[in-house]
Amino acid sequence: MYYYGIAGPALPISWHQVAAAITPRCATEAAWQEACSQDPPLPAIPGHSVRVFIQAERTSSAHFTGNMLRCLDSCPRHLLVCEKSNFKQEKSRHSAHVETHYFNCLVSVLLPECGPLPEKIKSTIEGFGSYFVIRNLSVHEFVTEDFRNTFIKQGSFYALSYQTRIDQDNTAALLPTGKLILSVDKDTYEELGLQGKPSLYSGKNAMRYTINIDLTDKALSADGKKFQRINWCLSEKKPLLFDFLLAWENTESSSILSYFSSYKIKSCPFTINTTVLRDLHCPVINSGRLHGKAEEACSSERVFEWFGAVSNNIDCTNQSSSFISTFCCPFPSTVVQQTSLCTITGFITPEKIQRLLQQLREYFIEPKLTTWVSLMVHGFADSPVSWGENEHGFCRGGENLYSFIIFNNEDYWVQMAVGTHDDCPP
Amino acid sequence: MAVFVDLNIMNTDVKKLQNIIEMAAHLGYSTVAINHVADSEKKKLEIAKPISVAELFPSLPIVQGKCKPIKILTRLTIIASDPSHCNVLRSTSPSTRWYDIVAVFPKTEKLFHAACTNIDVDLVCINVTEKHPFFIRKPPVNAAIERGIFFELIYTPAIKDSTIRRYTISNALNLMQFCKGKNIILSSGAERPLDMRGPYDVATLGLLFGLSEGTSKAALSTNCRAALLHGETRKTAFGIVYTEKKKFIEEESTEPVSKKAKTE
Amino acid sequence: MSLSKRCHGECMPQSKLPEPTSYERIVLKNFSEYYYMKVQLVFQGESVPLNAAQFKLLIVNALRTLHGEVGSSLPLDLLKYNEDTLCAILRISSRGLVKLWSALTLCGRYQHRECAFRVIQTSPFLLALAGNSRELDLG
Repeated sequence: MYYYGIAGPALPISWHQVAAAITPRCATEAAWQEACSQDPPLPAIPGHSVRVFIQAERTSSAHFTGNMLRCLDSCPRHLLVCEKSNFKQEKSRHSAHVETHYFNCLVSVLLPECGPLPEKIKSTIEGFGSYFVIRNLSVHEFVTEDFRNTFIKQGSFYALSYQTRIDQDNTAALLPTGKLILSVDKDTYEELGLQGKPSLYSGKNAMRYTINIDLTDKALSADGKKFQRINWCLSEKKPLLFDFLLAWENTESSSILSYFSSYKIKSCPFTINTTVLRDLHCPVINSGRLHGKAEEACSSERVFEWFGAVSNNIDCTNQSSSFISTFCCPFPSTVVQQTSLCTITGFITPEKIQRLLQQLREYFIEPKLTTWVSLMVHGFADSPVSWGENEHGFCRGGENLYSFIIFNNEDYWVQMAVGTHDDCPP
Repeated sequence: MAVFVDLNIMNTDVKKLQNIIEMAAHLGYSTVAINHVADSEKKKLEIAKPISVAELFPSLPIVQGKCKPIKILTRLTIIASDPSHCNVLRSTSPSTRWYDIVAVFPKTEKLFHAACTNIDVDLVCINVTEKHPFFIRKPPVNAAIERGIFFELIYTPAIKDSTIRRYTISNALNLMQFCKGKNIILSSGAERPLDMRGPYDVATLGLLFGLSEGTSKAALSTNCRAALLHGETRKTAFGIVYTEKKKFIEEESTEPVSKKAKTE
Repeated sequence: MSLSKRCHGECMPQSKLPEPTSYERIVLKNFSEYYYMKVQLVFQGESVPLNAAQFKLLIVNALRTLHGEVGSSLPLDLLKYNEDTLCAILRISSRGLVKLWSALTLCGRYQHRECAFRVIQTSPFLLALAGNSRELDLG
């Protein structure tokens, strides 16, 4: 697509100037010759800006190979990373996995051989507090010095645009590291005038760009040129308004309400759901055997699939001859009389998950019937990042999730899964 | 990657239209176009003013999962069997300016050729309800791609009848030999709410028509955006210059007065 | 399937409990033989009661109409079905995903009643269907 914008206050522009703007690209010969033939200057209309379009719009189209219908059998790429380690190991990366997965919408805890939720875990979950949803907030508010001093420097601040879809709309996220990430479509990118990179997943002719602004940058002082530029782009040139989910890991997190009091903001509680599952078929897991062992222990990926079955409340007792379903629990398995499953929904920060993980480790201080418990975490499908600053996208699904299996000897397994438009988890 | 668009909602009675558009918003389409068909065979070609969007909804339905209301556009489709039918499409003609997007449904090879090479339209409709009545050839298809004109395939007839389904798929595959997946738009042509399918479902259907994963999604989003821009250029002076009212008037700007952005 | 391993760490003995495990990492690419879909069947106006067997038969027939005998014999399971909402979770072998999805899309009729399948979510991970951030509704 050839597209030229002449922005700014309208000046008398002649057709020659228009033509000159087009010439370097020489888009369609006929189009601009016709433009040149109109000699009199364009009528300058006060208060109008002039944009120049060239008709020949070339569309993006991915490389097309001759073999049609080859996609019929294909299956989108996906990755599952399984790790086993021990919490006491010096190099254990369990906290890094939790802390760098910034945006989480659902956390569930699975406790085999457990009826009602243990008091300690229950109080941890109930102590999660709340998060905030704010309407029509302009992104430039995050850039102001006041905001940076009040929030970013005083704890982990999380913000993610709400009800924006990463494969269709502009999306914004503020990471606790002070990075502001904007994922915008081509039109917005051109109007915005901030430097970014083409999205990894938008094909040869990029239709989406990612802009990464470091708000902790020392060069971003209030009178600096860089700040002036960013502030002008976000507040005047192309103001970007979003609804945001906000969370601040600080004892005075409620001061968000007073800081943004000029906006429509409200505090949202987490939704907590607890169920006890009866006579559940549970797979046998051996912490030392990630690959499983025939007749003795189930492999990590089978267990991961089984977690899905439990979370979705799917019946695992089917015969192979059944017409409706032949889905079964991985072998070998045992029947567990009662299993507790607790699900928390909302905008959950990694710090909260970290606290929950700690409680689950402490669960085994007193001897328990079960040898393992599990923690499952779902990321936001429309977040611009998955782990760290890995770019995340939405193809047919935006899955980015992980689960921990915590064993009674401080061993753990972690399984991290991503879909098509995502980088390999750390 | 842009918002999902359905450029073909049949203009039926108001009640049905409202239901279809509500369904489109529910399924996640951010923009729809109401299609006014002018059939040249029935009577003398007359182009009426499009339905007024303001009359259709007092407040527009909200797109599901977003906080924005759906955007409703108007489209004109001319079923042309004779070159004279296309006279109304001269750029000087006022009747087409009422519409955001103009499409032509060519009945003969000659008209298909004309539509691809020199008539001022945005979309060329591909016949999906019968065996294609003429051969599609490479030169006009290439010319259309060069001019930024899009080929439209509709999927509603394929849902209703399995014979038509075969024609749809075979005509689509036939076209795909020449256009190699470029400049295709998939739209519904819905006459009832249940004719509509979700954007991701239609993108998958595109794979049956010989599109790839990427081009299939583009056929619902970026290609529609390009077609709408193409339509926008027709409304403005010779399709070259477009002026827009600024929301506020800057006093004395310190920034350079002219900035130019270019990308491909 | 690609496999990469990194091992380090030493073992510390502990009473009774199994010894701490050493570090190991596996990266599984496109491992899942199955794809999971959450779908809903909708009717215009009053919905038609369907039991699980009828629901599955409808899908198998849709597969047969579009993709023939081979298509209809793809391994397909109805993992979960709710008769009230007509919502279901399907499992299909991953090679058959596009075939199943296109068949569902083009299915428009059940016993002379117009209907449509709405695909709510798809994933190669069954666990991913348990949480949908796009459905997070805060009013």
